[in-house]
Amino acid sequence: MELKYKILKGLDVSGFAVFDPVVRLAYGEEPQKQIRAIGKFIIVPVIFILVCFALTDWIAPKHKTKSGQVPDTATIRKSAKINHLIAKREGIKTVDFLREGADREKTLLEVQALIAEKVAIVDELKAELKIQEEAYKSQLDAKLKPIQSKYDALKAKYKEASNARKAQSKALATQVYNKQVEPSELVALLKESDAQTEAERAELDILKNQLDEKRSEKYEPLELARSNVDSEADALMFLKTREQLLTSRNRSVKVAEAVEKKQGIADSFETATSESKVLNAAKGLVRQELSIERLESQKYAPAATIYLYIQRSVFTVIVGFLLAVIIGIPLGILCGLNKVFMACMTPIIAIFKPVSPVVWLLIFQIIVGAFFPNPDTHPLFVAASNIPWVQTLGVNPAMVFSACTVAMCALWPSLVNTALGVCSLDPDHVNVARVLRLNFWERLTKIIIPSALPLIFAGLRISMGVGWMVLIAAEALSSSDGLGKFVWDEYQNGSSLTFANIMFACFVIGIIGFILDRVMIVLQRIVSFDDSGASV
Amino acid sequence: MKVYNTRKLNSARKLSKLNLVFGLGMMVSTVSAETLDVEKDSLKFGFIKLTDCAPIVIAKEKGFFEEEGLQVEVIAQPNWKQLLDNVITGELDGAHMLSGQPIGATIGFGTQAHIVTAYTLDLNGNAITVSNSVWEKMQANDPALDTPNPKHPITADALVPVVQEKLDLGEKLKMGMVFPVSTHNYEIRYWLAASGINPGFYTSEDQKGFTGAQVELSVTPPPQMPATLESGNISGYCVGEPWNQQAVAKGIGVPVVTNYDIWKNNPEKVFGVSKKWADENPNTHLAVVKALIRAGKWLDEVDASGTLINREEAVRILSQPNYVGADFDVIKNSMTGYFFFQKTDKRLMPEFNVFFKNHASFPWYSDGVWFLTQMRRWGQITETKSADWYHETAKEIYLPEVYLEAAALLVEEGHLDPSEVPAFDANQKWAGYKPATPASDFIDGIAYDGRDPVGYLNAHKIGNKD
Repeated sequence: MELKYKILKGLDVSGFAVFDPVVRLAYGEEPQKQIRAIGKFIIVPVIFILVCFALTDWIAPKHKTKSGQVPDTATIRKSAKINHLIAKREGIKTVDFLREGADREKTLLEVQALIAEKVAIVDELKAELKIQEEAYKSQLDAKLKPIQSKYDALKAKYKEASNARKAQSKALATQVYNKQVEPSELVALLKESDAQTEAERAELDILKNQLDEKRSEKYEPLELARSNVDSEADALMFLKTREQLLTSRNRSVKVAEAVEKKQGIADSFETATSESKVLNAAKGLVRQELSIERLESQKYAPAATIYLYIQRSVFTVIVGFLLAVIIGIPLGILCGLNKVFMACMTPIIAIFKPVSPVVWLLIFQIIVGAFFPNPDTHPLFVAASNIPWVQTLGVNPAMVFSACTVAMCALWPSLVNTALGVCSLDPDHVNVARVLRLNFWERLTKIIIPSALPLIFAGLRISMGVGWMVLIAAEALSSSDGLGKFVWDEYQNGSSLTFANIMFACFVIGIIGFILDRVMIVLQRIVSFDDSGASV
Repeated sequence: MKVYNTRKLNSARKLSKLNLVFGLGMMVSTVSAETLDVEKDSLKFGFIKLTDCAPIVIAKEKGFFEEEGLQVEVIAQPNWKQLLDNVITGELDGAHMLSGQPIGATIGFGTQAHIVTAYTLDLNGNAITVSNSVWEKMQANDPALDTPNPKHPITADALVPVVQEKLDLGEKLKMGMVFPVSTHNYEIRYWLAASGINPGFYTSEDQKGFTGAQVELSVTPPPQMPATLESGNISGYCVGEPWNQQAVAKGIGVPVVTNYDIWKNNPEKVFGVSKKWADENPNTHLAVVKALIRAGKWLDEVDASGTLINREEAVRILSQPNYVGADFDVIKNSMTGYFFFQKTDKRLMPEFNVFFKNHASFPWYSDGVWFLTQMRRWGQITETKSADWYHETAKEIYLPEVYLEAAALLVEEGHLDPSEVPAFDANQKWAGYKPATPASDFIDGIAYDGRDPVGYLNAHKIGNKD
């Protein structure tokens, strides 16, 4: 029984009260009531979501834009898989670069076997692609032929008509010249002929557009054959890179080569025929030793992957959020305690709060660009780069000014809510503090902050939400490696998978935002005294 | 003073080169090739999502950087301005740059910083695309264009009435280019001006280049070009690949002319680093240029029948989402020597992208001088300059010494044939200048000789004259 209430409390605190009936049902508490609750608040919503997916899958393929088809859920899943695959491959390359000894040789054999297999597959698929290309061409020709011949015939006809009109107007001009007819007649004829030409052109354009449309139509078997070749050829290329990374580009191989070279130089001391040659050999030895040392500490420089992007984004938003908290809460407390200070701050808050994150980003870009210290020597960066996780993320100016932008935009809710919390202090609490003759610090830490905490945390939760939204925009613009950059890069790629990748990023961003929000809710509920459920 | 400095630098370089080659020669007797003593072995290079970043990407993916003892991260940049800023602040060690960027930065048009280049990434590779509606109007103006395969090169003559029509309505035709100092800006101006359309001048107050314009040219980052064209904000653009082929694939525009037809084998992108970085890391710079030369050579390798053999693999690599990221089939066209002008009009263009052939990757002083003349022609350089100024400025930015040093090492290691390195006699007055480009290589029929920039400038009808 004890555990049951613990679980229920946990669900309540984390804002998952909707699963309450499931737990109660598991403990056999009023099964009928619980099943009804589950049906209403879990099953119905789940069905609704499934219906939404089904609707998407039904509507999406019907909407074709010039940038590609609107992705259905299967395409989005495919995009997620591809992104995971890319990340996995980068990881494998990084490991391969460092493999040595028997492990390297064993992996190399495996990779070579895989390559032989893949080459055959790719060749097969390429042949298939050729067949499909031919099929596409012949079916396209079949489709185009009637329209094209109609177009050609019409064009020839109109050309003739246009020539006839020209001849007619020329003849009329002669007559006008000979004063046989009025010039107004010629003008009227020309006007009519122009209108005729225009109408004929419009008619031709319709056919031309039809032709273009037919040409732009996608031929499914060809698309499929193409994407098959593409994915297998990518896999083959990856294997070939692996082969290189296990042989000539492998670190241990390069180190071994360098060591051999060093031995060669060392041996040349004996055969040296003059002092200068001895000196040269010694110099060479020193250089070779240095280069071996450098080689030994080398790491493969992998491409940024979706997982790195996620980590960097989360890190950046946390840093920005903490900055906002460090600035916002003290200022908020001061505002709440002192009416004059509040009056001073009000115009600043009122004016800067509505400013767009884009503007802040540009301002911080200039400021950070001017004052960014050398990351290799500055103590703060050196300290940061010693933290294991941060080290792998790579702190750079783009990240710093993205974090600053987040802080600037996330600052206001924390500040305002803190001020409000401190302002609305219960007068009884103040009186108690007076009776107990608490000094300022004691009053602050024992009365003011604790009673303002629920509102402060409510503000922090809003701050976190704002910060996460702002961050994605900031990263897109500053091109700080993160989810925002991922979206922007995908937009710029303009490939057939662009749309799906952006939708995929949409889900990733949403889910992470949801998790961050839940964490904030838990914090908020822990410090709240009242038992009201957290709003979702 | 500046002249003196450059000379000093040149001689210092030459000396160090001699030392190096000599020292290496000694080493070769005992050991085979050896990696340079690089000052920095983990580097970050920036690039913009365009196929001509290929040498940098290939040098990484094919392990040429690694063979020089370098571990390189290749990072996509959102636009040219940020790319340049990142190189200046040192966030990036080097980058894929527009040829005009090191020059513009060094002479202080836009952001001021001394940027240098020792490697030209490629020749050609751009095209001008117009929207479908403008193309239809051009066809109406010139019936010869109204065929599935019109004769090339197409001049802007058929565009003149379209421009005039807009002007009569009190509007201006708007077109896009990628950056104020980009080759695209100069190429589209060149193309328009060759048909008598005024593309607008820069002045000390007008930094947008709209003064006197009949066509307004505005800056749009390359990957956004097709979307901006589709939304109707611009009626055409000049940009590198794959963004012209993308317009054809999406059916939103028609490429009318490639820059190969505007100026045959014009220099396009360079590999730029800051002067400070180059001075602090001379050996690293050398190692990087070595790797890039090998990558360029790999990209232009042909079999006995003259087919480019490595391009398909290069396209496979470039279509990865962390590099150019466009679809394999879209990039493949231009990179393997084909270009779609319309869905029905596929043409063989074997020299659409040249990465190495005919000494393409050599940093010619005359290329720098050409960009300077264009900056003067359109008013980005506001005052009259002497011919000497052009030559001296080009020599501050282009570093053929570094290229030659790297090439010499590669020849030594057997990766390069001596015939693949251009002759360069530092004692000769015009070393590092290409022979004069004949008039037939330009769309407007005006010959260019890098040795006479002022004369070239004065030969144009539209443009500032000195």
